[in-house]
Amino acid sequence: MATEHGISHASIDFLQDPGHNGIVPVANDIPKRRTRVIRAGIVYAGVVLAIGIAAGSRPNNLLVWVFACLLAALVASGIVSGFMMMPLRATRIEPRRGRVGEPLLVRYEIRNTSRIIPAYDLHVAESDATKPGGLEPAGEAWILHVGPGDRVHAEAVFRPTRRGALRLARFEVTSTFPFDLLRKVLLFTQPAEVLIHPEILPLREGVLERVTAGGAGGQRMSSEGGGTDDFFGVREYRPGDSVRQIAWKRLAGTGKLASIERSRSVPPRVRILLDLSRPTTSLRIAEGEDARALEERAIVLAASFVAYCDQLGYEYALSVAGLTVPPVALRRGHFHREKIMSLLAALDLELPRTAGIGLSTSDERATTIVVHADRADTSLAPSEAWHFTARQLETLVVRSGSTLGDDSRREGRA
Amino acid sequence: MTLLRRHRIASFLLAIVAIVAFSIAELDFSMLFLGVVLAVLSWYVTEGPRGRTLPDWVANTLVVGAIAWEAFRFVSTGELADAMGALGRTMVWILIAKLFARRTPTEERQRFALSTMLVIAGCLESVQFAFGLLVIVYVCVAIWATMLWRLARSADEARRSRESSHGFAPPIEIAIGRRSAPQFRGLVTASILVVLAGGVGVFILFPRFAEIGGANLAGRSVSGFTDEIRLRRGDRITESRRELFTVRWVDPDGSARRMLRPLLLRGAVLGWYDAAGERWVPLRAESGIRTVRTPEDGAFARLARNEPDPPGAAATIEIEMRSFATDAIFSIYAPIAIATSEPRSVSIDPATLVLRDVSTDRMGRYWNYRLQVQPQPTSEMLRALSTGDAPRGAYLSLPIDAIQPIAESILAEVQTNSGLPPRPDADATASERAVWGREAARAIAAYLRTNFTYTTDLSTLPRVEGEDPIVSFLTRYRRGHCEYFASGLCAVLRSLGVPARIVTGFIAIEYDENSEHYIVRESNAHAWVEVRTGPDAWMAIDATPEESLLELQERNRSFVDRFRWMYGSLEFFWNSRVVSYDASVQSTFASRVQGSWREAAGERLSQVLAKMRAIATDLSLGRAGGAWFATIAIGGCTALLAVLIVTNRRRRLRARLGVLGATRAEQRRLVRDAAFYVEALDLLAKAGYAKPSHLTPRAFADDLRTRHRALGDAFAEVAERFYSVRYGGVGGANEAARGADSHLSLLLALRDAIRQNRAGRRAD
Repeated sequence: MATEHGISHASIDFLQDPGHNGIVPVANDIPKRRTRVIRAGIVYAGVVLAIGIAAGSRPNNLLVWVFACLLAALVASGIVSGFMMMPLRATRIEPRRGRVGEPLLVRYEIRNTSRIIPAYDLHVAESDATKPGGLEPAGEAWILHVGPGDRVHAEAVFRPTRRGALRLARFEVTSTFPFDLLRKVLLFTQPAEVLIHPEILPLREGVLERVTAGGAGGQRMSSEGGGTDDFFGVREYRPGDSVRQIAWKRLAGTGKLASIERSRSVPPRVRILLDLSRPTTSLRIAEGEDARALEERAIVLAASFVAYCDQLGYEYALSVAGLTVPPVALRRGHFHREKIMSLLAALDLELPRTAGIGLSTSDERATTIVVHADRADTSLAPSEAWHFTARQLETLVVRSGSTLGDDSRREGRA
Repeated sequence: MTLLRRHRIASFLLAIVAIVAFSIAELDFSMLFLGVVLAVLSWYVTEGPRGRTLPDWVANTLVVGAIAWEAFRFVSTGELADAMGALGRTMVWILIAKLFARRTPTEERQRFALSTMLVIAGCLESVQFAFGLLVIVYVCVAIWATMLWRLARSADEARRSRESSHGFAPPIEIAIGRRSAPQFRGLVTASILVVLAGGVGVFILFPRFAEIGGANLAGRSVSGFTDEIRLRRGDRITESRRELFTVRWVDPDGSARRMLRPLLLRGAVLGWYDAAGERWVPLRAESGIRTVRTPEDGAFARLARNEPDPPGAAATIEIEMRSFATDAIFSIYAPIAIATSEPRSVSIDPATLVLRDVSTDRMGRYWNYRLQVQPQPTSEMLRALSTGDAPRGAYLSLPIDAIQPIAESILAEVQTNSGLPPRPDADATASERAVWGREAARAIAAYLRTNFTYTTDLSTLPRVEGEDPIVSFLTRYRRGHCEYFASGLCAVLRSLGVPARIVTGFIAIEYDENSEHYIVRESNAHAWVEVRTGPDAWMAIDATPEESLLELQERNRSFVDRFRWMYGSLEFFWNSRVVSYDASVQSTFASRVQGSWREAAGERLSQVLAKMRAIATDLSLGRAGGAWFATIAIGGCTALLAVLIVTNRRRRLRARLGVLGATRAEQRRLVRDAAFYVEALDLLAKAGYAKPSHLTPRAFADDLRTRHRALGDAFAEVAERFYSVRYGGVGGANEAARGADSHLSLLLALRDAIRQNRAGRRAD
């Protein structure tokens, strides 16, 4: 699972192609068939047996007829559901990504290759035997009807409970239609991986603004023109320039067409450094505290900073200290955010840590936020960097009545 | 989505059908009316504009009340035989209470279970055609309702699974294909047909009892024929206008006519009275029962032991069964010969001259038959028919002591009013006693007709514990139906030392002048008395007021009787093919099916062989003819197989290429020129890279390329070629040969790429 890059195999695809459409090759389109006896069927069989004994013990042909119909219904249930399920084919169209704390919608496409027989009442679920541990079902996929030659999509909802790559193996299409006596099962094998991003918690309003205000990473004017704000300079007229941009005074003075260029503002820049340089066993933890959970909280805090930066329109970057992960450059936008989230999701905390590699010097004009697991290590970042620990998560997230007090802020800055 | 709403009406209809079916089985029309009205009201109340339901505690109280009420009724009446009826009635009221209750899955299941149990209880109560029809309807509605219920239940479960996440998961959007409702109707129809066909199969093959007597099938509380009389079984008899059979009287000269007196058609003779059970039971000869076989040509078979007087002057009665399932052969006293439409075995009881069908191959049991009868048989004729083995003393026994004084008082009254001579002395001859007995029977019957009242409703009459019903009839009630009149007369006569017995059967009153035959209905079931008038001679005496029977007949007559034959023919089929299907019919059916199959197969085979010999002769093939035919047959089969394979392949190609909507010419072109693309997909699928249906060929090639570049490149060429054929018009007759080479090379390249990929994976 792990590579020399400190992240899992699964994340490589995501990092290389964040816009992947989520399609994986179908390994096996022909399902395995199973028939399971359910409790209602057992009760029904018992009733049929009792009526059969009664019909055999007294000369009453109407009772025999009722018994015959009940028995025939049992057989018909198997025949109808068998013919209904046999031509069904299914494909999982997995989302490839999810997020802890958010619903993970998994779509399934059911197609009926039969030319005559429709299918009704189909339940689609991941096979219990192969379902990964970090996924809890929160809503089944149910299909009322798939006509002959039809394709129908349904989606199941899962609740991801932990970050990382989850491996899905098999899913099953089941039905107890028509008489709820037998459960017919089609087992489809379609291996797939879903990368679960860390949970994002809403940070308290103003946290990032205060951190970035007035510093090197604060808002400033760009050194390049092209904006719409203040005067930046005059350049030669280019075909296509608006009439409003023409510098009329220059034209009057020199007789040459020139355009006024205006400056544009650059949003604040934040580089987030996730400090995982200390081995898990070396973390200082209180009694009853889980060191690995503390690291996970640090990742959640870093992800929350990233999400908040993205929400405010900042440019942001991520570096990870302690694991060999290539730093992500300063950018903004959806794909950039997804790339960072995928990187955080794929962090393998089982790998050995490398100490002392941080951001001691940097040429970037950006505010540096360092997220530590247990305690701050100022040697990892420039002196003006802001340091947070995973234990501060509770005080940083939005909670009713909670505020980030001055003491906390002072503690935050080492 | 309408499918999810229909299960309510389906479950409601299921309950209605169950209530109606059980009410019909019980012949309780008040329960039928009340049950249906309450059920319909429940639909209005629960599904109407206000949509209200009973609170749980009220519904439960009603259920408990229904159980208590029916239990009280059952205990108070004390009729153990009506236990199933009481149970069924309880279930009806519980079901109605539950129709007003909230609709929860548990309630739905309980309603379904109650409805099914009601129908099963009805099966134990009745074998009527109307009920059987409702059972079939119930099966169909139950299949429909169950399928709808399954869908609705799954939808509820899916919704609940989303709601249980407390807003975490979005609400479910039900996935549904096109034309779901019509396809559902088709599936329901198919399921019903499968169930009914399977049901018929199981019904035919289910092991049966040796014989189901037709007399047992006539119903228990209707005015039908039975071969025993239970006096207190039905205090209230419902008159049924169902046509059972027709009778035509033909004089010796061949002319049909209506008799002056109603015809008394004998079906069973009851000689023993069981005082404990308050019932008359049949008396059969201990030995000497003879069996005759009717000839195939429809000629008469003589019933006599030896040759009696030639029956030339005998009248003929022709009986045509319409809706009656019984092995009794109804005849007028005394039958001489019988003719049937197909050969049958008929037994005659020498003690009673009662005829029965005892054929073992009784597939066509309910046949039409003709009987030669002699209303006034000679003693020689009776001697030839009888054997004298009958227990004669039995016709005098009566284990009720209380009858004797009643009989004496009735005799005294009769003698006073009608001038009946005194009882013969002990030294009187048998002939004198027989003459007095006949006169006494006539006089007492007239006394009963005059002083007693005919009624079919005895439910309002008070009962005295321990008092025999015959005593009650003769002393306190002085009213009753034909069974009471016959029982009273027979009991009085036996107490007076006159041998008498009760006969059950039918009285033919209703005559159709147009068709010149009597119509015998279920309500014409009757009981009367036969009095011994000689060593083997008996005379019928009917104590029931004839005018009361005629009045009843007229009162019940309606225009519906004209159309009743249609229902009767269906009922006849039901009774003859379903209700009385027993082991003998089963074995006959099996042997007939087996025989007809062998016969048909053998006949076909011989025809084919004869044709082949004729062809071999015509073509002068000689002994090599067989080899020629074998060669032609093998060649034909091979060609047929090849055609099937090619057709199937083309069909598959058309489906895979998605050209089903194109013109035929275009389809042919694409099947010819683009088959390589399907073969490429098959190759990839076998290698574990099946193309997902939602990817275009080019997207699939790109997807493959991201994983296995060589494989993706190879398939990309196939995809490009496919595009050029499918949409670029490349191909056609001129390019066919060149295209085939090109396609082959593409496929070979793809196969090589797959092999390399596989080898690479193994190396890893």
